[in-house]
Amino acid sequence: MSTNSQGAATMTPLNVLIVDDSATMRALLYRVIGLADLPIGAIYQAPNGAEALKVLETQSIQAVFTDVNMPVMNGMELLREMAERPEWKDVLRIVISTDGSRLRREEARDLKVSLYVEKPFRPEVVRDVLSQIASADVL
Amino acid sequence: MSSVKSPVLTSSDQDALQSAVIDVCENAYFVFVESCDMPQFQALVEQVKSERGRGPSGRWLNAAVGFRGASTGLVEVVLPERLGTWLVVSLLGLPPESTIKDHQLLDGVGEFANMVCGTWLSKANENASFLLDMPRVTRMAPGWIPEPPAAGAYRTVVVNDLPLEVRAR
Repeated sequence: MSTNSQGAATMTPLNVLIVDDSATMRALLYRVIGLADLPIGAIYQAPNGAEALKVLETQSIQAVFTDVNMPVMNGMELLREMAERPEWKDVLRIVISTDGSRLRREEARDLKVSLYVEKPFRPEVVRDVLSQIASADVL
Repeated sequence: MSSVKSPVLTSSDQDALQSAVIDVCENAYFVFVESCDMPQFQALVEQVKSERGRGPSGRWLNAAVGFRGASTGLVEVVLPERLGTWLVVSLLGLPPESTIKDHQLLDGVGEFANMVCGTWLSKANENASFLLDMPRVTRMAPGWIPEPPAAGAYRTVVVNDLPLEVRAR
């Protein structure tokens, strides 16, 4: 899955990891990421933080979209693990959660989360998030 | 669930519950929600009941999400299976007459309830974070129909001409 635009034409395709316990939400994000005006390489999926860590350890990932409330290892625990690993310091972290509270947002910011998207979201919101990446507003 | 920490639901909390359903339906599912009173709701329930035997339309689903944090409680979304299928198809951007697998239906309806619960709690108190339990989706027995709950708050709405009830306690 890849797309190109004038602004993003020279970018190396991004490998993306979607972490959500809901297969429906993963499918939705997969579809929306494909609509982005940005070159996308591989899109990996994981149902919880523990499985996400396995993907991060074996694949080259540039952006992680993660839910917060998940079984086994939740999104905040995943982000804390990622913060401990210097080799993942440049991975873009995006939280997509129903929890839009100020406390959770602050916690996410402390864990190097660049963008926090509240569910429910319109697909354009995620597309715009990826466009920000393309225009180097975030990275 | 601790009864000590259960939220005391005011009238505005109940309105916020309905607002959460509207927010989720309009922003994630691109469908408008109409409010309806109990007689209208019951008429729609009867209509669904009369459709039983024609595919999955007559069965009801109950999606429940427990929450913990500043308060503890449970949000339930009760809807006909046909509406659940329609919502999941809509969310995934599939053609309207698409069929989905059972696990997709249950997962998608659970996510709908998850979003309603999270939206409600976020709007109720933006300074308090919360934890949501995994959604539990139950297919109700044939012939079961929703009735006003004995305790807690509830609101009835119409989504795509089908009835939906949201409850909190």
